[in-house]
Formats: sequence, C-alpha cells, structure tokens
Amino acid sequence: MNFIDGVKFADMVRMGAHHLHQNADYVDSLNVFPVPDGDTGTNMNLSMTSGAKETEANVSAHLGKTAQALSKGLLMGARGNSGVILSQLFRGFGKAVEEEEKLDSKKFANSLEYGVQTAYKAVMKPVEGTILTVAKDAANKGVEVAKSTTDIIKVMEAIVEESKASLKRTPDLLPVLKEVGVVDSGGQGLVYVYEGFLACLKGEELPERTNMDLMEDLVNAEHHRGVQGFMNTEDIVYGYCTEFMVKFEDEKVKKHPFEEGDFRQDLSKFGDSLLVISDEEIAKVHIHTEEPGDALNYAQQYGSLINIKIENMRQQHIDIVGESHSTKKAETASHPYAIVTVAMGTGIADLLKSIGASAVIEGGQTMNPSTEDIVKAIKDVGAERVIILPNNKNIIMAAKQAAEVIGIEAAVVETKSVPEGLAAILAFNPEAEVADNEKSMSKAAAGVKTGQVTYSIRDTSIDGIDIKKDDFMGLAGSKIVISNPSLDDVMKTLLESLINEDDEIVTIIYGEDVTEQEAAEIAEYVESTYDHTEVELYNGKQPLYPYILSVE
Amino acid sequence: MSIEMKNDYGTIDITNDVIAQVVGEAAIECYGIVGMASRHQIRDGLTDILGKENYAKGVIVRNIGDETHIDMYVIIGYGTKISEVAYQVQSKVMYTLKKTLSLTVDSVNIFVQGVRVTN
Repeated sequence: MNFIDGVKFADMVRMGAHHLHQNADYVDSLNVFPVPDGDTGTNMNLSMTSGAKETEANVSAHLGKTAQALSKGLLMGARGNSGVILSQLFRGFGKAVEEEEKLDSKKFANSLEYGVQTAYKAVMKPVEGTILTVAKDAANKGVEVAKSTTDIIKVMEAIVEESKASLKRTPDLLPVLKEVGVVDSGGQGLVYVYEGFLACLKGEELPERTNMDLMEDLVNAEHHRGVQGFMNTEDIVYGYCTEFMVKFEDEKVKKHPFEEGDFRQDLSKFGDSLLVISDEEIAKVHIHTEEPGDALNYAQQYGSLINIKIENMRQQHIDIVGESHSTKKAETASHPYAIVTVAMGTGIADLLKSIGASAVIEGGQTMNPSTEDIVKAIKDVGAERVIILPNNKNIIMAAKQAAEVIGIEAAVVETKSVPEGLAAILAFNPEAEVADNEKSMSKAAAGVKTGQVTYSIRDTSIDGIDIKKDDFMGLAGSKIVISNPSLDDVMKTLLESLINEDDEIVTIIYGEDVTEQEAAEIAEYVESTYDHTEVELYNGKQPLYPYILSVE
Repeated sequence: MSIEMKNDYGTIDITNDVIAQVVGEAAIECYGIVGMASRHQIRDGLTDILGKENYAKGVIVRNIGDETHIDMYVIIGYGTKISEVAYQVQSKVMYTLKKTLSLTVDSVNIFVQGVRVTN
C-alpha cells in the first residue's frame, strides 16, 4: 500500500480506538505514574474515543481534513496526562498533514515524527520512560524505514514493533516502573492504538485476548494493586502468593464435578486476590493466602497440580521497602526543666507549646492569672526547675511571687508580650543553668519589637493622639502610634513604625475576630511592601487583639 | 514559616522554600507545563518564565492555622487542554508532597499566567 487517504485514515483511527478500548482495563492495571490512581487506560480510552467520534462525524477523502477532526476530537476529550499527550501527538500530526490529500510512506512517518516533536514541546521537563519515549522511538524507526520503502504497511509494522520494544525498555528509564514490575501504562495504550492502525492497514481483525493470556495480566494487575508505597510489611494479612494449575482428571471430576463458580467460592475462604480461569482441561488459580497448603489440598480434589509457584510476600516486601521505622511521638509525662508561660487564645497556646513551653496558663489582658494559678501550673507539670514567662506586664508581679513561693529553682524572664515570650522560649537551652537561661532569654526577648492592635473602650487622648471609643489602636511596644476606625490603616501605620531596613522576620498572630482571608491579605501586603522580610502567619485565636505582631 | 514534624529523635522543620521547590519541580515534570511564572507579573516583568532557582516565586505556601494551602503560577503549552493539565498538576503536587514530605495540603490552586505558543 503506497498511499492512505482520509477515509482509510478514519478507519485506522476507529480500529486504534477500538483496540485501546478493548484493553483499557489492562492499561489501568499498569498505572503507576505519576499519581497512582489507576485510570490511565480509562483516560486514554475516553480521549481516543472522543477523537474517533469526531473523526467519524467528519470523514473526508482529504486526509488533512480527517486528521484535523481527530486532532480536535482528541483535544476536546483529552483526559489525564496520557490523554493530553495523545492529543498533542495527533495535533502535531494533524498540523504536518494539513494540506495533504493523501500520504505516502515518507510523509506518514515524518508527520508522526512531527507529532512527537510537538508533544515534547509542550512540556518543560519531559519524563523518559513514558508514552513520550515510546512515541519518539516508534516514530524515529518509522522515518528510518520509510527511507527505503514506499509500502506504508511495512512502515507501520516497523512502528508497532519498535513501540513494543520501546515499551519493554520503559522500566529501565523510569525506576518507579521497575520497582512495581510493570511497563509504562500510557506507552502501552499508545502501542494498542498503533496495533489497531496496523491491523486496519492489513485488513486484519485483531485477536481477542484469550483467557489464559489474560491470567498473566490479571495477576500483574492484582499484584500491582497491592504494591503501593505506603504499605507496611505487617499490614500483609495473607502472606503467600500462590499460583497453580489443576489439570482435571476424569476420575476425580466424576466424584467432584467441576463448577467454576463453586470452585471460586470455596477457594475464596482461604484468602484474597483470588483469580480463577478455567477451560475444559485446566483451571488456573492465583490466590494470596496464609495457608497455601490448604488451598492446594482443596484443588487437588479435581485433578493433578501443575506449575505450582508459592512466594512469601512479606519477605519480598521487606526486601523492597526495607523495614519501616515507626515515628511515634515521644510522650514525656513530666518536665523536670519546665517553661511555664501565659497566653490568651488557644492558637497562641498551641504555638507556645509547639516551640517548647511545658504549660500555658490561660490569661492575658483582662483575666490575669493569680500567683496561685501559676504555682499550680508549675506543680502540674512536675517541674524541678522552672522558667516563668508572664508575656504581659500586668502578670510580672504574680509570676515573681510564684517563683518565690514555689520552693524549687525558678526564674522569671520579664516578657511583656507574646512575641517576647516566643523569642525567649526559642533562646531556652535545656542544658544551661537557670540563671544563665534567664540572662540569654531576657536578651532574646529584648531583641524583639512587639506590635499590637486592639480596641479602645472609651474616648481619650494619649501621647497626643485622639482616641475614639471603638477605634482600633496600634501599639508599638507600649506606645500608642495610631488610633483609627479602619483596621487596615492602623495595621499599615503600625507596620511602618515597626519595620526598618535591618528587620528580617515579621510574625503576625491574628485573633478570633480576623478571618483567614483578611490575615492572608495582610501577610501578602507585608511581603510585597517590605520585600526584605519573611512573613510568618499564625492563627492565635486570641480575643480583644485582632493582631499581635513581632518584628526581628 | 515552616512545617514542623516531630518524632522520637526530635523535630524536623521544613521551610516553605523547600516546599515551594519540591512543588515547583513536581509541576514542571507535568505534561503541558512549560514553565513557572512569577506571581508578581507587574513587578518582575510580564510572564517571564522563572529559572530553577526561582520556582519559589511562582509558588506560594500559605500556612493558615494548621492548614496549608499552595498557590501556583504556571505557564502552559498552547494547544493542550488547559483544564486537564492544571488538574494533573494538582494531583501530582498532592501526591509528591505526600510521598516526599508526608505532607497533606488542604488545597492546591493553579493560576494559569500564560500560554506559550511554539511554532
């Protein structure tokens, strides 16, 4: 055959789509890359079906027009990575043949090759060992063969053969395939499409897959489903992968007539991943079981056992993934060297705990914990030595009293705000003496600039600033820098007064009255306005203070 | 800003920059993505494709409370099905974070900043 025209090409597409459709389940079973959701076959099949439908509806003797229809249908129906790539391959092909009435062998191969180039251009980092590689190798082979023959069938044969060879090589290029022991699913899908093309050119019907061939694939598929990276060896319930065939013997079958349904039902009691395929002479069985012997004994009632293969899957799994180390959280009941601190807002409490506070006492501006509260907290954590961080100037006194009466070694680092408390905790050294920690933690706390935004509860005037009831007030340290009904304006002015050129980190702790969205916008504003700073955003859930800022 | 994990031996801190880099790498392996774009188009010039060292500029990791959200700014090849490519990036990013950092994010948002036309 020296030429193909639009009508012939439409037939090829139909055949390719049909063959892929026939085998979509198998392609699904191969799916590992890049996200193991097992739908490559489904996706490719839907994409190709959409392409074939559009082609069908617009068949033209003009090959270029038919190829355009395919290209359009594939683009519209593209699903999944493999579907998108398939659509790109034929989009390029369609472009190359746009003006062609019909194709000769050279033009056909070159156009496929052009499709591959197009497909490669649509990705920044092509991953080799995928459908891209298979398409590339096959097209190159086609171009090479077309140089010496005008017979399109010969060229297509070479393309199919090379695509299969390339598919076999995919595990060498992509480690994840080797790990699971499959070839690339998208590549396999493309091979099916090409096989369909060839069968159409030859006027052949493609063989339907036989049951017995199917078994191999099903077993692969079944195993593949079980091999997903997150499984622990101890999760394997049925440890032996058991495969065998029963060759029926007349005498036995007389006694126990073989019924595939019953046979499967009986075997299913022994384990899972059960596959049974049978014909008049033989039944093939695959099962994962903890008692392979029992399964074999049962099957022996029907005939002699051949081709028995039993593998220990736990051992295999250990070999593959190595022993997984468990990462249990260390549970410590007591804190011999404790940090006890004060905060309002569950978010802030969590934050303080997350960086090392042993206990956080609920309290703050309006509900200051008493000396007794602090003593109780220290006793509760079972401390032998303790550092107390009041995080509020109104609590410093109570903290100092607690340190005096507690009867263990204790020190108060006079933190006046949450940011100072955070900085102090970060400077804590569990190896150091209490007095040394007190020094270094105080120094760290002093290095932090604190900003706070809160409401005014009455009209007043402080530091020359007029304050109206319900205004937002911005405090830099303990000084009021702005009072204004607009939270945004207050924040911006406050930030401006806090941040200078040398500052690197701005921590924003937002309160219960602020939405995530608002907080994120503020963070964004800080990052874009002061681009030398890093912004950290925490949901402190604190009442009364929409924002607490720390700048360092 | 960072993600912290604890185990028997201590804590592991993964900064947002690392997450952005991992996410960027995963994204550009996705079919149909021809580049990462800066989120500040006006400031950094129009849809420049970012170099490897700058992926973080096209990826924003937002930690809001204990949720993590990722915004990605990408450039997609012309002629691909953009919705599908974007969906692929989302699932690949989710998968990669789970696999490499055992991190589950709450959302991955794709902002297509441009399409690149090749011949």
